[in-house]
Order: sequence, then C-alpha cells, then structure tokens
Amino acid sequence: MTSLLDRILTPGELSVVFQPILEVRNGSRALHALECLIRGPRGTNLEPAEILLEYARRKREECRVDRACLSTAFMAASMLQPEARLCINVHASTLSLDAGLPRFIDETARTNRIDPSRLTVEIIEHLPACEEAVFLRALDSLREIGIKIALDDIGLGQSNYKMILDARPDYFKVDRYLVMGAYRDSRRQAILESIVRLAVRLDARVVAEGVEDALDLATVLSMGIDLIQGHLLSEARPLPEFAASPRVAGVCLRHLFTPTFS
Amino acid sequence: MLSAHARDMGLRLLVASDEEPSLSAFQKHFTACGFQVDCARELEEAEALASRIHYALVVADLRLAGVIGVEGLHLVGFVHNRCPATRLILLADHGSPEIESEARRLGADAFIRKPKSMPDLAQVVFGLLEGAA
Repeated sequence: MTSLLDRILTPGELSVVFQPILEVRNGSRALHALECLIRGPRGTNLEPAEILLEYARRKREECRVDRACLSTAFMAASMLQPEARLCINVHASTLSLDAGLPRFIDETARTNRIDPSRLTVEIIEHLPACEEAVFLRALDSLREIGIKIALDDIGLGQSNYKMILDARPDYFKVDRYLVMGAYRDSRRQAILESIVRLAVRLDARVVAEGVEDALDLATVLSMGIDLIQGHLLSEARPLPEFAASPRVAGVCLRHLFTPTFS
Repeated sequence: MLSAHARDMGLRLLVASDEEPSLSAFQKHFTACGFQVDCARELEEAEALASRIHYALVVADLRLAGVIGVEGLHLVGFVHNRCPATRLILLADHGSPEIESEARRLGADAFIRKPKSMPDLAQVVFGLLEGAA
C-alpha cells in the first residue's frame, strides 16, 4: 500500500489555495500579497494544511514536503501576472537542514516565471531551528536574491524575541490567537500595541492574521496595523475562482490574471 | 442515549489501526451512533490529528503501519500527555501482561484483546464516555 508520505510527494497530489493580504489605509484597500496555502491529498486526513505539516514534522520529512509544497505553489502561481506579490511558507528546520533550499526556491520560481523579488518566505516552525548558523545563512541567501522574510505566529511558540533578532524579518505576522476578540480584550490590545511598537523600531511591517470580525478589524487598524488577512475580507480560494470572480472586499484582482482567465 | 448525546455534543473519535477492515467497520458503526470518526493508519498520521483535534476517545491498535510493532503504545502515551481528558483504548491481538501494564502506565483506560465484536467494543466505548461525562 502507498504510504501517505509517498502520496504527498507524488506530483499532482498537493494543491494550493491563495488568500489575499490586503493593505487597508485611510479607508482605501489594495492587494498587498497573496499567501499560498497548501492543501494535502484530497480525501485524506492530511487535506488541512496544519495536519499535513504536523505529519511532515512527525515524519521528520519537512525538507522533502516543503520542497514539494513550494513546487506546487510556484506552478499554480505561474498563472499570475508579475504584479502579484506571493507569500510562501517554509519550516525553519528546513532552512537549517536543507542548505540547497534558497537555490531551489530561486530556480523553481524562475522556472515558473516568478521573479524571486516578488516572494516573501514565511518562516513557520514549532521547534527551534536546529542548525542556527545554517538557518541564518539561508536567510541571508534568500535576502540576496531579493526575497523578503516574514515571521509567522509572532508571539507564539518559537516566534519569540530571539527569533525576531536573529531572523530580522521584514514582516511580523500576528497569529489569529492574538487578533480574534481583540476588540473586547484589553490584554490582547496591549500585546498588539507592543508588537506594533517593536515592528516600527525594527523597520518591519505587521500583518494581522485571522481577522474575521469587523470590530477586530477596526481595533487592529486603530493600532496602526494596515496589512490584513482573514475571512472577513477574503477566504482562501484556488486561483481560477479569483479569476472567475475577481472582486475581493472591494478590491479588483482582474489585473493579476493572464488572458487565459479573462 | 449516548448516541443522541454524541450527536448533540459533536463527540469525535479517532481510531488508529493498520487493518483496513477494522477501520472501516469501526467508522461505519460509530458514525451510525452519532460520532464523528477519524481513521488513521500510521502513528504519525494519528499524532498529527491528535495534536490538532480534541478527541473524546481514541482507539489505538497496538500495531499501526510501521516497523516497531507497538506504535499503539506510543500513540496512547502521546494522546494522554497532550490531553489527559481523552479516553484511551488499546487493542492488541498478542498483548502480553507487560504490554497491558505499560499501556495502563501510559494512560490507557482499557486494554482489549482481539478479536472483539463491534457491539462489545461499543459497550466499552460508551462505558468510558459515560464515565467521563
């Protein structure tokens, strides 16, 4: 019987949906980036990304699974016009174990007509990077080819002050845990305010994830967080769905699609 | 009574086994009883599910797809450490007293030798869940 891991690594088994990150400023909205969110083999327990990635970590196969996810994401995103900025997820452990990953990202992106300068690598992890020097070198290599760095789940797990210092992220992605219900929770507000202050000092931008409530949106905007991701503004969907219905929270994405979709 | 409760509460069960017919029979039976049932064939698959989903009860076969032969024990320990409220049943067809005592030490609420009919297994499941309620 084929193992789940074999299935994940079989071309065509993974799929990708895209979720817009919108820039909301002075009442106007514009697309900032699309995050590529991977989905595991259809009809299996691994279809949700969080279970797929947890499985990969438990199998200690983050490197192979991350490469398969990246290939899938780049192939799907090759349909987009060059204006679209893309966010892709990579485990910190992959960056520290797979020394060839920056080159792989560079080559695979270019093969799919994606200039690496359009990319933001979001570092996901629930374990400390095991080979710190390799990890930091990998981040430098990514920066050298024009890729920006985002730290996922700021404030949770390993996305702590040390990681912020070492990784020098261009973006702080604030986890939904801190965002959801912030409008009625002064403690969450205090933490969000401190993250914003820290980001300003470190010349980074803040993305609020998991924005699903208009009151939470108003709260994070009032704190100066202007990059917003969440179901309130847009669900994650496959690209052809955006192409067929390109209006997202008042923002038209039609210009992102090649004539194939128009 | 518990069937209606299971439906109302959205109780979720995980069954982990390398035997496809057992998985399928378990899923059919307990889905009909009102539970939401997830099936896993590999230890890592079961752990990935259990680390993201809260299960009311987990049934773990001692053997899962893998080579160590006692993957079910690992799963029992993993789930118990992560969520002590989850009821745990270990199934084994060659379980020695040592395995049973290790299973209990790791947090199993019941140790069942196979073969066991589905109604008998259901009785244990309902008993544990009613005790936990």
